[in-house]
This record gives sequence, structure tokens and C-alpha cells, in this order.
Amino acid sequence: MPALVLYNYELDESCYKVRLALSLLGLDWQPVAVDVFPGKEHLTPPFLAMNPAGRLPILRDGDLVLHGTEAILAHLARAHDPSGKWLPPDGAGFAVVMQWLNFSARDLGITIAARQHSLFDTPGDEAALRAASAQAIRIMDDHMTARGFARAEWFAAEHATIADIALFPAFALSRDFGIDHDEYPALRRWARRFRALPGFKTMPGIPDYH
Amino acid sequence: MSTGDSWHPVGLSHSIEAGSSAGTRLFGQELVVWRDTSGIAHVWEDRCPHRGMKLSFGFVRGDHIACLYHGWQYDRGGYCQYIPAHPDLEVPKTFKVPVYLTQEQGGMIWTTLSGNPPPLPIDRDQTVPLRSLYLDCSAEAAIAELGAVRLMPLASRVLADTVVHRLTETLYAVSTGDDRLLIGIQVISETRSALHLTICGWPKLYEGAGQSHFLDWALQLRRAIEQPRPRALAARGATAENS
Repeated sequence: MPALVLYNYELDESCYKVRLALSLLGLDWQPVAVDVFPGKEHLTPPFLAMNPAGRLPILRDGDLVLHGTEAILAHLARAHDPSGKWLPPDGAGFAVVMQWLNFSARDLGITIAARQHSLFDTPGDEAALRAASAQAIRIMDDHMTARGFARAEWFAAEHATIADIALFPAFALSRDFGIDHDEYPALRRWARRFRALPGFKTMPGIPDYH
Repeated sequence: MSTGDSWHPVGLSHSIEAGSSAGTRLFGQELVVWRDTSGIAHVWEDRCPHRGMKLSFGFVRGDHIACLYHGWQYDRGGYCQYIPAHPDLEVPKTFKVPVYLTQEQGGMIWTTLSGNPPPLPIDRDQTVPLRSLYLDCSAEAAIAELGAVRLMPLASRVLADTVVHRLTETLYAVSTGDDRLLIGIQVISETRSALHLTICGWPKLYEGAGQSHFLDWALQLRRAIEQPRPRALAARGATAENS
């Protein structure tokens, strides 16, 4: 059994971020399927022992058990990416990746709430969730518009980083919660680049063009 | 603003890469804007005649656009040429998507819902793409604010007035000194509109730093349109006190 084990739910966009990282880094890993809906298995004692907050993804790397999507992405990049590109070691590259990981963990939380409301009927005000999600996605589009004028194609560096991995699903899955891609041209351009990365994988809700 | 026989901008040319598509709306009507791999832009009804799926969800292959649902492929004329589930079928000519006249000018993609429009005003100026602004207000309300933020010249140190020109019903310009921005007006619906902004001038003059400079103005304009100005707030406060 490989050292890397991901407790995974296929429809969870945060699990998808980790699946993307594992695939883009070309790592050998093993999924453990968790019955989140309707089983709520992630809220049972064995899972709460691994993450008391009751959320996926959870990554096991040898003796290390880690929760928190952005922490898992940072760990994978630091521990398993010899190129050091996915998480630049220091300087502005490191700082800007952290800025966007923070944006992903905090500001894009609303897009996760919007999608769960749409797909799994969790409580929430649909119109308010959608408006706040559109606002967060527009911040990303404004950033990538400015990056384009500086001839840069990625969020934080001259190449893709874990910031791009953390930000991709909220945009790629936005149609799940009623936000089309029409009004975000800079993100459409970026998503096309992202989809062409070697090792890119889709998930349900992200079309696999054929 | 009338749907009539005018030409309407539906996006910046730069925003639709070769081999890609996006949806939009004009007077509430759903359209797909797509560019084939040879670089020609197309504006069609955003609806696959088979099961009504949006073609903007689909994908472009060569000079065809394919529906995401069942892969039906349409050629540049809107005619269905290939149905994957019936590879040997010669597809009847009646399987056709309505297509609209499409032109590119001033760095924007233009279309008209009329079959017999007047010529698009000739504008041979070079342009550099800036930004599309999508706004929760009518086109008239957006136009009324075009002069709300002072436009700072890129290079000149001499401050000139910010002047708004109406070129046609759907094309405005905002200029200061030697610098001039084109603003295409798109009526998405009665309560939603888009401003498509390009910079008039040579790419080597405006690409990079010039785009960043005028992007700041564009984002300030968006804020001015979205947030009531202090003056308006004060006026509203005064009304409340009087009532």
C-alpha cells in the first residue's frame, strides 16, 4: 500500500483539490471512499478522531494524519515535489501563494456553501450565497486580468502553483450553483491553461471534452 | 435603447480565444459567442436544436462547435454536420442553429439581431484590449456615469478634461488629451448591462503598463457605478430629514 492515503468523497470539491495535487505531482496514492452523502460517515467517531471538525479531505502520509485542504496541499508540495515549483520556497512567490491559499480557505468558503446548498439541500439563502460567490469569483477575474497585462498566466508565479490548484474548483464547478462562466473571461483563459497541465483530472460537474 | 437594426457588442475580441466559446445575453436573448480554430468569430442562438442544451457549454473542434450533451457538431453556417450516435447519417438541413451577422471592430465582437443592418461605423484605429465590466444596472444608467471618474493620461503630464463622446447608440468614447478609450454598450437585459472597454492606439504604446493604468480607471468606474456617491447619499439623507 502506498504511503499516501486520501479519505475521499468524489463529489467534494476540497477532496478534488487534493486529488488534483496528487495527480499533477504524479504521486502514487490510495483513495479510501467515504460515504458523506447520505451516510454522514465523516461524522462518525473514527473520522472525528482524525479531524474533530468533521470535514474531508483527510490525508495520511505514513504516520502523519493531516486535515485542512490548504495544509494538505502545502504538505504535498513541500514533501513530495522535488522541483519546489508548486510551492516556491521563499520570497514573494511563497507569500503570494499563501495569500491565495488564504483566499481559497476563507473567501471561497461561500462557494462551497453555495454548491452544497444546490446539490445537497443544506440550509442557506440561495440568492445571497450566489451573489457573494459571484463577488469572490470576480475578485479572481480582476486579478487574472491584471496578471494578463503583466504577461503572466498563473495566479502567483510564472508557473502553476498550489494556489492555482486551490482556486480552480470554485470556478470550474460554478455552474453547479448557478454562476455561468460568461462574465469571467480572464478565468476562462486561465482555466483553459489549467486543464492542459500534464496530469489534469476532471470530477463530476467538470466536463471531460472528447 | 432599441433592439432594432443596430449593431451590438457582445464581448472583447481578446476574451474569446480561438477554439473557445462563451455565453452571453442581448436584450434577454441567450447567445453563444465562439471562435473557430482559424480565428473567425461567430454569434449564434445559444441552444442546440436537439434537446435545448446551451451550445456555450460545448466545445470547439476546428471549424465546428459541438454540443456537450450528445456531441452534435455544427459547421460555421449553423448546420448540423455530424451526430455521433448515428455516424453514417446524412444529417437533414433542417437541423440548424439560428446564426447572427458577426463582425469585429474596435477590439470588440459585434452582432445584430436584424437581417438587414446598416453598416458598422468604420473604425480603422488600432486598439488594445482592456476589460469588460458587467453591471447590475440598465445601459442608460451605466452611460450616465461614464464621466464620473477622471481619466488620467498615460504619458502626458498635462491634465486635460475627461470628455465623453457618443459615437453611435452602442459605442461611446472617453478621452483625455491624446488618450482615448472605446466603450461598447451591451444591453444584457433591462437591469443588467456590460461595458466593453478597449484603448485606441498602437499595442507597443499601450500594452502592459498602459493596460494596467487604464484598468485602474475601469475598476474605479465600476465602483462609482455600483456604489452610490457621497453626494447622492447626502441628498438622500436630506430628503429623509425633510420627510
